[in-house]
Amino acid sequence: MKKLVGTLLALVMVLSLMTAVAEPLQLTMYFPVNVGGSAAALIDAMTQDFNAENPDIHVDAVYTGNYDDTVTAIQSAIQGGNAPDLFVSLATQRFTMADTKMAMPLDDLIAADPEGQTFIDDFIDGFMLDSYVDGSIYSIPFQRSTMVMYYNKDAFREVGLDPDAPPTTWDELVEYGLKLTNENRKGVGLALNSGSAQWAFTGFSLQNCTNGVGLMSADGKQIYFNTPENVEALQFWLDLQNKYEIMNKGIVQWTDLPTQFLAGEVAMIYHTTGNLTNIKNNATFDFGVCFLPAGRQWGAPTGGGNFYITNGISEERQQAAWKFIKFCCSTERAAQWSIDTGYVATRESCYETELLKNYYASFPQALVAYEQLQYAQPELTTYSAAEMWRILNDNIQAAVTGEMTAEEALEAAQEQGEELLADYQ
Amino acid sequence: MKMNRKKAVGVLITLLSIVLGVVWLTPLIWLVGTALTETSFHMTFLPTTPFTLDNIKYVWNAVPFGQYYLNTIILVVGTFCIQFVTSTLAAYSLAFYKFKGQALVFIVIFMQIIIPNDVLIIPNFMTLSELGLYDTKLGVMLPFLGSAMAIFLLRQHFKTVPKALGEAAMIDGANLWQTIWRVYMPCAKPAYMSFAVISVSYHWNNYLWPLIVTKSPTNRTLTVGLAIFAKSKEANMQWSNVCAATLIIIAPLLLAFFILQRQFMDSFVSAGVKE
Repeated sequence: MKKLVGTLLALVMVLSLMTAVAEPLQLTMYFPVNVGGSAAALIDAMTQDFNAENPDIHVDAVYTGNYDDTVTAIQSAIQGGNAPDLFVSLATQRFTMADTKMAMPLDDLIAADPEGQTFIDDFIDGFMLDSYVDGSIYSIPFQRSTMVMYYNKDAFREVGLDPDAPPTTWDELVEYGLKLTNENRKGVGLALNSGSAQWAFTGFSLQNCTNGVGLMSADGKQIYFNTPENVEALQFWLDLQNKYEIMNKGIVQWTDLPTQFLAGEVAMIYHTTGNLTNIKNNATFDFGVCFLPAGRQWGAPTGGGNFYITNGISEERQQAAWKFIKFCCSTERAAQWSIDTGYVATRESCYETELLKNYYASFPQALVAYEQLQYAQPELTTYSAAEMWRILNDNIQAAVTGEMTAEEALEAAQEQGEELLADYQ
Repeated sequence: MKMNRKKAVGVLITLLSIVLGVVWLTPLIWLVGTALTETSFHMTFLPTTPFTLDNIKYVWNAVPFGQYYLNTIILVVGTFCIQFVTSTLAAYSLAFYKFKGQALVFIVIFMQIIIPNDVLIIPNFMTLSELGLYDTKLGVMLPFLGSAMAIFLLRQHFKTVPKALGEAAMIDGANLWQTIWRVYMPCAKPAYMSFAVISVSYHWNNYLWPLIVTKSPTNRTLTVGLAIFAKSKEANMQWSNVCAATLIIIAPLLLAFFILQRQFMDSFVSAGVKE
């Protein structure tokens, strides 16, 4: 009897030890949602799949509002000693994330992983560009977008333009815009509210620059707002509104612009690829997607969010977080994520999957964003990115509302921006 | 002549209040109209598309609004009940007792009014983490369990109650608690009422703090559910969904306002509070 009890006790102890070992490692990830209700559900599903495949890890994905709210949540959590293990934040936040030591460099994790370098090399260059801080990789491209032009083919036909030949240069943009503009319709639409103006302006700056450098240096420490080319680009915006009168005056909101396009009130709009599914589902007319018209050359801004791993977590957790990032960015997953959300697939190999090939065959408009990526560069990214955005947006808006000339506005932005960056020189 | 003038002023005031009423109602009408009709891309004030409940259904199923409702009600009611007790006691003692350090206590309470809540998010978060209250309902409520505004409001009201009333109660054998409960509290009813409106609407609408200190759906609030729709900026604004989610959230407050309108008005007038 005693022996039996002893054996049972031993068994119980062994069992409890085993369950203790099998207790999965709990990871927390913070993520923002920027494309409507369904994205949160998609991330939950992705996390569940990962947890099912990896019984030793349990990732808890926590929705934390938009990008700004998420940064506040991460800051509070890190200072409060409850830091998430990984998070999704804007690619443009990387200098700040590195500078404040909120995120860690990922080079060692990549080097230690036998597939690490191949994994990184497979990402599209245009997206990988804004993962580096001082030569170290700090973030991995995840929900990435770029700007394309949507145009109303029916309106093109109506005024005698070839619906398969959208404008390819600024001059053509003006020429077509003039034809398309009438009492009830404007030719061109650009969103110039804070948070959008700087994105579109990155594109125009890249199209017009002569040295291949648009608004800032790659190390995030220099800005070039007041170059003659950039002044010319801003003047072009003002001309669209005031001289040619083919764009609505004042400031149109980012979220209202697609609505105006779908209502037929604007014939050509500059907007994110993230809006493609929405326009496809709701357009009552024939629409096309094309490259942003070129100035001196083609150019487009990229934007969107990347994965970061929090600084200071244990090595075991770093490994688990890395595993999760690789899972979410695996070729098949990244391709599916692109189809489900409208974000651009981030890896070259995605475009060789049957999944994406079939998708593009049935919906060729979606391919434009990928083809344009060879000309795309990161949006305005510097140290203190949020403050820098505000400076550029405020001054551009001052020019749009007529308080300043294009030159004055960009001079002012340059001066204020340099002051902001003085600490980092 | 005099009569006519009075009449004219009367008409003018009526007209003005009608205009104000319309201005106030406009967004509400648009919101209800957009939430309950099929999605349209022509922005119009009055809906042009047929009636549908699909927006509400879609939004309700996309986010666990049922759970969020329960959480929000628990938080709002819980916070108010505790504020009710703490503020009454604090107000009574500040109104009627003299004690050492009274000025200091006053200043400390007053500081709570001066410092905006958003500034305190990080320090409050740190305290909660140390107490192990991260991601709990108690944690969401804790920083709000005392309210400086309520204390000042009630203290002023208690002071206007004639002392003789309190003394009479004492003579009749009421103890301290009974005196507060039966004499002072009924006299300050308008103050309680207006504070209830402010507290309930503030906590009902609070977003950033509950978002940051909670992570599981069992503790999150209605506003977090709304944010999923209203803060998605990378595509276009899906106004029908945003309006449907907003309608779901504001419905109870709106209903309460229509039912209790008169009481609210009276209490605000007599308590003299502006939000």
